Amino acid sequence: MLSVKGLKANVGDKEILRGLDLEVAPGEIHAIMGPNGSGKSTFAHVLSGREGYEVTAGSAKLDGTDLFELEPEERARLGLFLAFQYPVELPGVNNMYFLKAALNAIRKSRGEDEFDAVSFMRLMKEKLKVLHLDDSLLKRPVNFGFSGGEKKRNEIFQMAMLEPKLAILDETDSGLDIDALRIVADGVNALRSPERSMIVVTHYQRLLDYIEPDYVHVLAKGQIIRSGGKELALELEEKGYGWIVDGEAA
Amino acid sequence: MSAATNSSRQQTEAAEAFAGWLHDLGEAASPAGTGVDAESAQGWLAAERQQAAERLRAQAVPTGKSESWRYTGLRSLIDQGFIQVDEPLSALTPEDIEEVLVPGLDAHRAVLVNGRYSASLSELGTLPRGVRVGSLSQMLESDPDALQGVLTRLAGEGSHLFAALNTAAMQDGLVLLLERGALLERPIEIIHLSVGMEEPRVAQPRHLISLGDGAQAQVIERYISLGDALYCTNSVLEIALGRDARLTHARLQQESPNAFHITSLYLSQDANSHYAGVNIGLGGIWARTDLVTRFSGEHAECDLQGLYLAGDKQLIDYHMDVRHGLPNCSSRERFKGILYGKGRAVFDGLVYVARDAQKTDAAMSNRNLILSENAEVDTKPQLEIYADDVKCSHGTTVGQIEPEALFYLRSRGISASLARRMLCLGFAGEIIDALDSEALRDYVTEQVGDRLERAPLD
Ligand SMILES: Nc1ncnc2c1ncn2[C@@H]1O[C@H](COP(=O)(O)OP(=O)(O)O)[C@@H](O)[C@H]1O
Ligand SMILES: [Mg+2]
Repeated sequence: MLSVKGLKANVGDKEILRGLDLEVAPGEIHAIMGPNGSGKSTFAHVLSGREGYEVTAGSAKLDGTDLFELEPEERARLGLFLAFQYPVELPGVNNMYFLKAALNAIRKSRGEDEFDAVSFMRLMKEKLKVLHLDDSLLKRPVNFGFSGGEKKRNEIFQMAMLEPKLAILDETDSGLDIDALRIVADGVNALRSPERSMIVVTHYQRLLDYIEPDYVHVLAKGQIIRSGGKELALELEEKGYGWIVDGEAA
Repeated sequence: MSAATNSSRQQTEAAEAFAGWLHDLGEAASPAGTGVDAESAQGWLAAERQQAAERLRAQAVPTGKSESWRYTGLRSLIDQGFIQVDEPLSALTPEDIEEVLVPGLDAHRAVLVNGRYSASLSELGTLPRGVRVGSLSQMLESDPDALQGVLTRLAGEGSHLFAALNTAAMQDGLVLLLERGALLERPIEIIHLSVGMEEPRVAQPRHLISLGDGAQAQVIERYISLGDALYCTNSVLEIALGRDARLTHARLQQESPNAFHITSLYLSQDANSHYAGVNIGLGGIWARTDLVTRFSGEHAECDLQGLYLAGDKQLIDYHMDVRHGLPNCSSRERFKGILYGKGRAVFDGLVYVARDAQKTDAAMSNRNLILSENAEVDTKPQLEIYADDVKCSHGTTVGQIEPEALFYLRSRGISASLARRMLCLGFAGEIIDALDSEALRDYVTEQVGDRLERAPLD
């Protein structure tokens, strides 16, 4: 599904990703953990095509297609989805109109018909319920005036609507209390399927109690310095990052 | 020759050309040459015209140096050599105007073609008690007394040049009179339809809106063209609100891309009255609007909002002059603009608070979204405050589309061009939402969306 090889990327003159390799097969969930500032969000942004990063080496392919050849919207239409660490507020842009535009753009690129109003509405209500979100959310501007938890749930709601092949969840757990975390995790788990892969970026092991990963990677200083099964997360929880990061540096 | 002398000579030439043009128009507007009062020859109106013509002659012709025309050159206007519209145009049928109607808008409809009221295109329907609507020229014939002391009261002495020109030359327009307590439930829509003529013409409609104490009305005023005609509209509105009267006033300027547009709106508000105006400026190549507000009683509220879009070669200029001469009134000016291509806009708002106008509450803001390097806005909000117990604020912003917002939308599969349009409409939405008819909101949203779709937004 996703194949990243030797990826290096700069912000300005500063090298943030320094040779990153990652292989994700269909249906797998990979957790990426690491200290603050290690480049997790940068990795997510570079994959989804945000401006301001310069890829200096390496490649990233989604089902064989070179992502770096594509515009952000083309990557999304190919099935890539990023749940933002900091969802952007869009005052004046109606949530429902936004979702419809997104869904129809993606469906159109797949050669599917646009949704009719009734089935679109039905689908939305169904997915909202899973995430314990109120219908009134649809009438509000995207993320505008949403609480922190609502913003994060809205990201997962969008993911549920857009049904991506590969979803990257960037610290979707941060700032959530335990109940909200459980709701988000349920939403994510409902979307697990043998065809859909996920990269769950998190700072804490806590989320992985609810979303069980197949693999755990540690990202530090722009490289994946350790990979393992879910027990690696527990080990990190217990010992912190120091022992690996320092061990690597030594 | 030095550059300075050169430019001052150019200014003199421009001033002369402008004076010549005004003179010619003024001549054409002499009482004998117009339809309004030639026959019935109301002395008072003839005198008003005379005075306006004299003011025109006496008034210094604006140059690039005069403050209120600093960013809005008059050269391109003068160069067109517009001449007065003389004959009413009668060839249009109701089918011709169907394409310019607002779908689903239920309103009493008054239609003016090239500045003249058209009875055959208008559909006034049944009007409630105490409401009079009709053509200015007809009312001047049938009931001139009703207009004496009212017409030209607000836009007479001290009005600006184009208003004086209108007074000297006005031929027709719409009169809307509500008696004390009258209530107009359906909105009244005034459509100014312009049709190109062989020579570039200027139409000078003159409107009078007067609401007696406690009266309420909703007016929708639209300027629209059939085709891409080159012409000029020089419109004047005098609006007087009695005590406790309420008027909501939507104004849509959707002139042809070659049109020149001038509106001078003079508003007078008595105690406790409420005026809510939403100005949407989309069309024309050169458009200037002056909104002038005065209070004649306390606790009156004046709300002026606006949205303008200026693209290639367009210039859109809003001037506001809000004068708080009495205590306890409030005013708000909130304008937003979207500039693209080589579009230019001017926002010049003056809120003046006299020494006695304590407890004035005034807020002015102008926010602009600039989508191209070549677009430009000159924004100048001014507060002049001589009272010490007031709440006044002003703010302006000039910004671009935020890259994070754009990326967020694109990361959801939405194309860059649609994403930009969505963000622009989001920005504009706050003003569009202030329109109080759903049909109108939908229509304006679509008009704005269409323009943005055609605009080079990259
Ligand atoms: N736009 C940017 N400009 C400058 N530095 C940046 C920018 N984005 C990220 N960085 C830097 O890159 C490093 C990695 O940041 P980030 O990817 O956000 O880390 P993480 O998500 O792992 O906490 C940090 O040192 C951060 O300061
Ligand atoms: Mg991060």
